[in-house]
Amino acid sequence: MSKLKLAVIGGALALSALTANAALADITILAWPGGPEETALRKIVDNYNAIEDNDSKASLLFFSRDNFFDKMLADAAAGSKEFDVMLTTTYSVGQYASFMVPIDDLVTEEVKATFPQSALDSQSFEGHLYGIPTDLSVNFIYYRTDLFEQLMSDAAWQEKYTEIANAELGKDLEPKMPADWTWDDFVASALFFTKSINPDSPTRYGAALQMKNIIFSVMIWQTSAAGYGGNWMDADGNITVDSDAYRQALDIYKTIAEKGATPGGSASFEYSEANGAFGTGQVAFTLQWSAAYSELIDAEAYPQIEGKFDITHPAAGPAGVKTHFHALGLGVNKASEKQDEAKKFLAYLASEPVMTQYGKEGGKPPLSPALTEAYAGGRPDVLKMGEYASDYGVVMNGATSSKALAVYNVMAENFTGYWSGTIDQDTAIANVVAAMEEDFGK
Amino acid sequence: MARKVSWERQQRTDARLLLSGLCLFLAIMLGFPTIANLWYSFSDVSFQDLTGSGFVGIENYVDALTNPNMWSALLFSLRFAVVATVLQVVFALVLVFVLHPLVQKRPWLIAPLMLPMMVSPALMGMMYRLILNEFIGPVPVYLDMLGIYVNFLGIENVYATLVGIEVLQWTPFAFLVLLTARQSILPEVEEAAVVDGATGTKLNFLVILPMLLPTLGIVTFIRFIDAFRVFDHIFVLTGGGPGNQTTSISIYIYKLFFKENELGEAIALSVILLLASLLLLQVGLRAVVRRTEP
Repeated sequence: MSKLKLAVIGGALALSALTANAALADITILAWPGGPEETALRKIVDNYNAIEDNDSKASLLFFSRDNFFDKMLADAAAGSKEFDVMLTTTYSVGQYASFMVPIDDLVTEEVKATFPQSALDSQSFEGHLYGIPTDLSVNFIYYRTDLFEQLMSDAAWQEKYTEIANAELGKDLEPKMPADWTWDDFVASALFFTKSINPDSPTRYGAALQMKNIIFSVMIWQTSAAGYGGNWMDADGNITVDSDAYRQALDIYKTIAEKGATPGGSASFEYSEANGAFGTGQVAFTLQWSAAYSELIDAEAYPQIEGKFDITHPAAGPAGVKTHFHALGLGVNKASEKQDEAKKFLAYLASEPVMTQYGKEGGKPPLSPALTEAYAGGRPDVLKMGEYASDYGVVMNGATSSKALAVYNVMAENFTGYWSGTIDQDTAIANVVAAMEEDFGK
Repeated sequence: MARKVSWERQQRTDARLLLSGLCLFLAIMLGFPTIANLWYSFSDVSFQDLTGSGFVGIENYVDALTNPNMWSALLFSLRFAVVATVLQVVFALVLVFVLHPLVQKRPWLIAPLMLPMMVSPALMGMMYRLILNEFIGPVPVYLDMLGIYVNFLGIENVYATLVGIEVLQWTPFAFLVLLTARQSILPEVEEAAVVDGATGTKLNFLVILPMLLPTLGIVTFIRFIDAFRVFDHIFVLTGGGPGNQTTSISIYIYKLFFKENELGEAIALSVILLLASLLLLQVGLRAVVRRTEP
């Protein structure tokens, strides 16, 4: 064989190897670990890898949940290429946007028909889409049906309820089912079902509030602030936290905590503690993330509330019923060298049949109402999530900005301080406003 | 004479050669991060610009020192470290005097006493989240049976609870070090003291305790430094709250860095703490060395 032939064959082999490598570039997806989200995404990735003519395989990478976002932030800021697709959320999309690639080109007509605009907005920053929304979170009130049915039918209980509302709150209130609550009813019901206030209460506490100094406590609580018409900023970008709406909403938690209608340890309560308290049957209701439903219906884990609870939307304020909502999503790592492959996966993920399948496998994608109904099956939480997000969902002005996490952090620090009595309300609000003015350059 | 000079020179060369590996390791692992951090502390650095290209002079240091939250976090850490250290050392010392005769005959008893220290502090925090939970935690449940209600993580008790967990976890360390020192005291010394009439309390306080003082100083120093930089179990249990009530200086720096994206200020504060701890180390070591000199 001549040298020329050898060179040609060698060149061809090298070229084919190179092109084969380019065509077969596999991608790594950094995703949210644990729970139904992981189970559902694993199934989708398996299906993606099983497609016959797909020469780009995907593999999953999971950090632990603890401080997941700090770890991802450090990696992304360092320009890590260890993952090509990364997680994004409504409240951190602004912070991560500079480490991600806009994916506006993936928004086809099919995608627009699959997701409501609000879902796409929840993954957008400064007019550009950075993530395909995968999982929605809203707030529900989880309440004991047996207790509230008795309250609505027992004359003695009703009399006591009105008496407690008058004595403790100075308000003339009648019992209502949680779906009809105002925030005053929320507080009055918490007091009524608290043994130290009503010795005949079958539960030790009325409510289980999450008041730990973490950002998620603020996200749940600001559902009430939104109900009172509160917002971080007005349309002109002026900070509006120093308002009656915020003050009244802050006093909901403050009153319940001061009167001992939430467990004494609520100052260290987060998601799992609130579930635990409600699940032991010692609490009449809780304001909690929608994700808790799939845990609380597990009769083995929570036998005391088996078949005895239901969910509804948060209470109404003067501005109506509102709920904080956010979505998790997946976007493209800017440092990735396989951005085309990453986008190819995201295009697959954003398609209607795949998203519907993701929902059926346990995910909670924010899809259009008809599609949500199709994948929800018998899951009432999924149906209500879609409905509440579309009817009552609120994203505060500025809450998708690059400063959103810092704002949530300073709110958590100061508002939990107010609820536990370490600082007064004026100081807490002034501290938050000062920090926001600095963050937003006002 | 010439041979002796040559031998000494060879010794010095060998020593330098042997130390070069360690020096290189320290230069890479400590020197580079220290220089980088010093630069960052004078820069406008953020996650969006990790190069820290904008020089801002001492602005980060001024911001760090003028933030009232920093002072409250520093005060919390100091109070926490002093109280926890004193309790750990006192308990450890009492345990040494009480258990020394016992563990001399049954040394295996030391093993179970060491268990708390084997658990990672973050896991310790997770454990106590369960143990102290009002509804499912064994401690509140048993106390409830006795008609006692204690809100361990409420504002009135949270400080004592956190100190208690720290003391439970790290007293074994202080005990182990002090026990080793106690065991190294020659029996002849004790016998001589007994012959001279020192028994019981006198023997312990006038003979044994003074001999333990250098070790006591080192243990106190180590435990103080460790307690001062407390992070894990407090972060897991309270997140630094309610409000800022349990925010230690380490948690404060972490939040500045990761949650508020104030990398320059966080690093400037770390540099200040590094300098302060170097000063403390110098004073502490000098005191210990002086005490141990013959």
